[in-house]
Amino acid sequence: MKLLVIEDEPSLREDIKRYFISESIICETGADLKTALEKINLYNYDCIILDIGLPDGDGLKLLEHLKTSGKEEGVLIISARNSLDDRIAGLNFGADDYVVKPFHLAELKARVLAIYRRKAFKGNKLLQYEEISIDLQSMDVRLNEKQVVLTRKEYEMLLYFISNKGKVIAKNVIAEHLWKDDIDLVDNFDFIYTHIKNLRKKLFDFTGKDFIKSVYGIGYKFL
Amino acid sequence: MKLSEQYNRASIIITLGILLFAGVFYYAVISYISNNELDRDLTEEFDELKQYVSNYKKLPTPVDFDEDVASFTPIGKLIIPKHFVDTPFVERSSKKSEEGRAIVGTVDIKGINYKVTIAESKEATQYLVQTIGFITIALTALLLTALFFTNRYILNGLWKPFYDLLSRLKSFSIAKSPAYSPKSVAIKADEFRELQEAMDTMAVKARNDYQNLKIFTENASHEMMTPLAVIASKLDTLIQDENLNKEQLEQLYSINLTIGKLSKLSQSLLLLIKIDNRQVNDNDVIDLSLLIDEKLQHFQEIITGKDIQVNIKLTEKKIHMSQYLVEVLLNNLISNAIRHNFKGGQINVTLAGHELVIENTGPEQALDESGIFERFEKSKSSEGMGLGLTIARNICTSYAFQLSYSFQKPFHRFKVRF
Repeated sequence: MKLLVIEDEPSLREDIKRYFISESIICETGADLKTALEKINLYNYDCIILDIGLPDGDGLKLLEHLKTSGKEEGVLIISARNSLDDRIAGLNFGADDYVVKPFHLAELKARVLAIYRRKAFKGNKLLQYEEISIDLQSMDVRLNEKQVVLTRKEYEMLLYFISNKGKVIAKNVIAEHLWKDDIDLVDNFDFIYTHIKNLRKKLFDFTGKDFIKSVYGIGYKFL
Repeated sequence: MKLSEQYNRASIIITLGILLFAGVFYYAVISYISNNELDRDLTEEFDELKQYVSNYKKLPTPVDFDEDVASFTPIGKLIIPKHFVDTPFVERSSKKSEEGRAIVGTVDIKGINYKVTIAESKEATQYLVQTIGFITIALTALLLTALFFTNRYILNGLWKPFYDLLSRLKSFSIAKSPAYSPKSVAIKADEFRELQEAMDTMAVKARNDYQNLKIFTENASHEMMTPLAVIASKLDTLIQDENLNKEQLEQLYSINLTIGKLSKLSQSLLLLIKIDNRQVNDNDVIDLSLLIDEKLQHFQEIITGKDIQVNIKLTEKKIHMSQYLVEVLLNNLISNAIRHNFKGGQINVTLAGHELVIENTGPEQALDESGIFERFEKSKSSEGMGLGLTIARNICTSYAFQLSYSFQKPFHRFKVRF
């Protein structure tokens, strides 16, 4: 997957790049609207992460440009402004998703990959990871060709883990992904342990492999 | 009370008062004048009588007195001083009793004193007084009618620009995007024209100030969010380091949670500002019972995790409000009911008619009803921000719903009336 990150804050830009880069993801960056426009004119990307508050103009202009030049890049907007107007404006201009600062890199990656899967997989909605195969359309999960019944949250958790494979994810970040903003209703996130334990057991029962590793003191890692 | 009504009332009371006073005054003056007139007549008559008596040394016959009625009573040596009295007057021909005026005096015929009473009818004067009374009443009625219509049509017409301005002022919303249109309606009255100008200037200024404030708030939030995002991404990068031990990771986890709180806090504040300014204007048809079901489903794992028993009784109810806000409202109320519950507790959600009631078991003590909806008011044990209920209350207020709290052991009960 080819990714373009347009973000004016250098350390944020570099962290995003470092987190995303892997054998399957190529990541390029730009710090302003001018660079961004140059890059999208020269190359094709699968997905663009776009901060709409750029020093030399509104990032929404890039969306307009993409639309008028008939490009089909998936776009994920990052904005510090969470104003509902912004959200609607961004999505109206053809953005695929919207993340509000501050965000966690795991969340960003899961969202980018979701856009990428929607755009790139087209007819073929099958996600394959080692012994796990997931039909994204019917949400049908097979382990070693055998169908497994997962709860909705377990399914979402599995997708989230696969998107962030090899990375340590904090408990609260997983919980925030599953229960969104409403998650502040729990006083600690240990309750997700139960759900992770269930998922881990199902994966183990069907594949004989322990995919989820606990990282003590902070969270989990999917291998 | 309306201004015109107050004015009407005052002017009617004053007019009635003056007319009443004028009527009484008229009556008194006319009675006084007519009595004087009668008294003069009677004096003349009496003088004539005296003349007659001194000339002929005998009493005149009653026929000599035209319309008047005279009577004579011998009283010996007694002398009655001349004076006037009001007395009934009986007309000789018709025997009809009327009001009359009489002069009483003494005449002396051959050494004998006679009490003389000469009475005259007051009918003519009475008639005059009646006429004046009638005219006064007619005048009063006419004046009142005239006042009524003047107030109603002319005064209301005069005040119309004021009411127009008032209704424009009422419908003025600082947040609405279509700019406040200072439609310069030609107003004749200087005062109202000035008022309109002042209002237009004020509205434009308020809009501009508000815009600036909004831009400032958003910029401030932007400026704050980017450094937070940097911290979050640094943390995410840092925790990938395999050399970190458990204690270090626990510290990083704490920082992680704090960032979450900070971000949630500023988002809640921004949302509060938006609700207060009526900036969330989208209007969707919401199937409330369906949405409540979805929300409970969403919290299912957490509810089960706390062994909470949920009883749901929902009747179908559709309302018009912003999808976003109704979700925030339900989330806040339901999550509150979960958060302040104990393990093995109970939650009842009832939607019937115009009421949504969410009850939960919890601390066995009523909350302070007046304080719980205020900003940053929270129980010591609560990990929340203290903004959830304020947001819920403000959402309700902005839709003219009522959100109330009561405690009926063992249930804390939040009720929304649509």
